[in-house]
Amino acid sequence: MAEASIVFKLPVERAKIREFALAVGEDNPIYFDAEAARMAGYSDIVAPPTFSVTQMWHLSREEREERLGANLDYARVLHAEQEFQYKRLPVAGETLDATMRISRDVTKQGRRGGELRFVTYESRFDDAAGEEVLRALYTLVQTSKDPGE
Amino acid sequence: MTLPELGSSFPERTFGPLGRVDIVRYAGASGDFNPIHIDAPYARATGAPDVFAMGMLPAGYLAHAASDWLGGPGGFRRFKVRFAARVWPGDLLACTGLVTKVGGGHISVAVTAFRRGEGPEDLSLPDQEIALTGEIEAELGSSVGEGGNGA
Repeated sequence: MAEASIVFKLPVERAKIREFALAVGEDNPIYFDAEAARMAGYSDIVAPPTFSVTQMWHLSREEREERLGANLDYARVLHAEQEFQYKRLPVAGETLDATMRISRDVTKQGRRGGELRFVTYESRFDDAAGEEVLRALYTLVQTSKDPGE
Repeated sequence: MTLPELGSSFPERTFGPLGRVDIVRYAGASGDFNPIHIDAPYARATGAPDVFAMGMLPAGYLAHAASDWLGGPGGFRRFKVRFAARVWPGDLLACTGLVTKVGGGHISVAVTAFRRGEGPEDLSLPDQEIALTGEIEAELGSSVGEGGNGA
């Protein structure tokens, strides 16, 4: 029986911020140096805009699929779109409360024939005060079994 | 920073060439260990000619370029990308941004990332193609968002 949502924690750890920032070629000191981050108005080093993808460390695809029950066939699935909506960026030392649900599941006729199914996994991340920090919308597309090509 | 004008473009920002190690590094950083991105024999068994970057890697470079254009990431309110083409080892990723709306302390930027390179031999790809398109909406002025002091 599929669940409506999955609740999990996303720790925003200093070393993880550094590792992630380096992986996207960052050199902005606000990701590495607490003093530079404070000069820019943050309380500590800040997480890069796409940092919340590290949720994959805390919620695997297998668990997500099993619990939300989208029944996607991953041999035919591509990452179609990604969206982030920000109230602010997370800072080191926070642990965010994440809630993931399927916010969209539509099937469209593909341009080359066959059906395309779009599934959006929406994660909302709240801080310790219960205030929303950001949302991440991860949209997958499943191509037709018979692409008709 | 001076206020960008409607219709103006930010200076192109190029990353790469993308190394296989860069893909592995991003796998470890993000937790995305889908073998299609890191294990060439596995990728070939699925019908791909080689490994290719997970889409969020070029998306991360694009966010990086945009935050440098806008004086930091603190004003970001929305960032959306659509994935148009795979990015291959050896590719350069060129990030461009065009101001589509500005005023009232907000800016909207249409962003495009092009992959440049030969790509895998058996694909005969064009030397340049659009890899990602998207939009960024940000608040101008305050580089840090409200409540940016966090915890």
